[in-house]
Amino acid sequence: MKPPSSLRSLPPKGVPGGSGMNRILVVDDAATVRMYHRKLLGDAGWHVDEASNGVEALELVHAQGDANAFDLYVVDVNMPRMDGYSFVRELRKLDARHQAPVVMVSTEAASHDASAAFDAGANGYLIKPARPPDLVLTAALLLGDRTAALKSAEGAKS
Amino acid sequence: MALKKSTDTTTLRPVEAREYPRDTDGLIAQLADADATVRRWAARDLAAHPRAAAVLCARLTDETDASVRSVIFSSAARLGGSVVVTSLLPLLRSEDPALRNGAIEVLAGQPDAVAPYIEKLLGDADGDVRIFTVNLLGDLKHPNVPQWLAQVLVNDVNVNVVGAALEVLAEVGTPASLPALRAAAKRFADDAYIGFAVDLAIGRIGVS
Amino acid sequence: MKAASVLAPPVISDADFQKFAEFFHRKTGIHFEPAKRYFVDKRLVERIQASGAENFRAWFVALRFETDGAEMQRLVNLMTVNETYFFREAYQFDCLVNNMLDEIAARKRPGSRIRIWSIPSSTGEEPYSIAIYLLERWAKIEQYDVEILSSDIDTAVLQAAQRGVYSARSVGQLPKPYLKKYFTPHGNDEWRISRDLVDAVEFSRVNMSDAADTRRFRDIDVIFCRNLLIYFDDLSRRVAAEAMFDALAPGGFMCLGHSESMSRMSSLYTMRRFPDALVYQRPL
Repeated sequence: MKPPSSLRSLPPKGVPGGSGMNRILVVDDAATVRMYHRKLLGDAGWHVDEASNGVEALELVHAQGDANAFDLYVVDVNMPRMDGYSFVRELRKLDARHQAPVVMVSTEAASHDASAAFDAGANGYLIKPARPPDLVLTAALLLGDRTAALKSAEGAKS
Repeated sequence: MALKKSTDTTTLRPVEAREYPRDTDGLIAQLADADATVRRWAARDLAAHPRAAAVLCARLTDETDASVRSVIFSSAARLGGSVVVTSLLPLLRSEDPALRNGAIEVLAGQPDAVAPYIEKLLGDADGDVRIFTVNLLGDLKHPNVPQWLAQVLVNDVNVNVVGAALEVLAEVGTPASLPALRAAAKRFADDAYIGFAVDLAIGRIGVS
Repeated sequence: MKAASVLAPPVISDADFQKFAEFFHRKTGIHFEPAKRYFVDKRLVERIQASGAENFRAWFVALRFETDGAEMQRLVNLMTVNETYFFREAYQFDCLVNNMLDEIAARKRPGSRIRIWSIPSSTGEEPYSIAIYLLERWAKIEQYDVEILSSDIDTAVLQAAQRGVYSARSVGQLPKPYLKKYFTPHGNDEWRISRDLVDAVEFSRVNMSDAADTRRFRDIDVIFCRNLLIYFDDLSRRVAAEAMFDALAPGGFMCLGHSESMSRMSSLYTMRRFPDALVYQRPL
């Protein structure tokens, strides 16, 4: 199985005890991409919310109480109003409860984009269009969801 | 203390000693002032000075303050026209997403002035430029938009350009778009996202 | 056999609804959940028939490609609730007296001026609600000079605001003690607000798209601009958001309506989450 591109190691965030499933925020200006990511991530057993640019994403983040803060952010790089890197930089200024791993998704394959992602505070980087097993495996690893990770790795082999 | 009505009308209409007159040249000079507030007001007032369109847009590449940039884009949008379009088109190649997206937003509001450039942009060697052009089509109110997108679906070699086009076609696709949609699905048969997006766009065309 | 001469009303398919909902969300930031299907479909049918379009597809193409924004404006009007009344979206007034004003006051010397701008004034419910909140619920009201400015593009509503007569429905959310304290019964089941409150608000006619109008407003500490910008086209919305940015003092706050979002207007404002509300702020 080929590992997904660029994954900085990070102690995985534990599955929240008792409060229910992991919550993922998908941020992308394309509605079709959001739908597609929602389908893949939802099928893996996670709750998915959406935002269409960095500003809307921040509004949604602020609206979450302690009980339903996001556990993972999947963020498109190129968006109008506020791009992905700007969103992550703003996110990293917020309270600890909003901090969670960030996977950037970008069309650029150039290596400089991956380092820009990590500089902004991201933890992972995928090249668009993300292959289903890569997206789900990356999310599972960052969420610390062992079951989903194994399931996705199995799926990637076939 | 308490609720106090403003009886001092000068607080509502401050009389400021003006360093520069508010004519075109004076305002252009203020675009380079050290104070961002001065630059912002100059950019705002230049919306009424068509002669300054090129200079105003040119300022974008030097302007570092986001609030000034924002007003420059708004004034460019209010001015409109071919000079604004030719001045902003190069920003599609900018490394700065704020400049790129600001330009796209203004260009999208100029359908007649931008239309002559679309085909060339859709044939650009740079895949990113083609993607941004498709993004522009997403908000452009021009009757050729569905046909331009169909061309992309049939011809473009870059999966992300095709993906961007499918996104827009989910909204503006017509029955005439169906052959191009099927062609894209065939060309990128191995790509799960393309298949998903084609099915979605076809479903949206419907029969109403 | 008589031919059918009446067209059946257009039916909105699931695909049509999704296409419309995505377009509307992209343009306005407003979400229509599947639960709102009946609400939306009914109004879509109304617009399709009123515009003379043959079906949803024809109407939607016209909407998507129209250059004057007229249909979009009619549509937004139809899809949003435009009612005004005292203490509407009061959680933001709570935020004003519980957090925003204290932060602003902390940056000013006692006795100095605090300026609040309420746009649109409409028939006055919002600026007068702010006045009542300040007098009744802000502990520091006696320590600062608070100016309430309120503007609208429509002189008829400005006149009505200064006349200050309201229906029972309009004052329905007011706690009874406030109604008694600040209003007197008027005519047939109406209420007239006290002259002191009318005199406390500075009303003005302002076009938010006109820099000549908006440039007069400076050093504003809090702006309430609720349920106005949703009716503007994209460019006018940006221009207004930028004008308000300049009107605000650094660190000043701005509140939009509860279903509105800066994400369709501007990225210049930072966000502040207070216990009562999420508000926007011009950076210090």
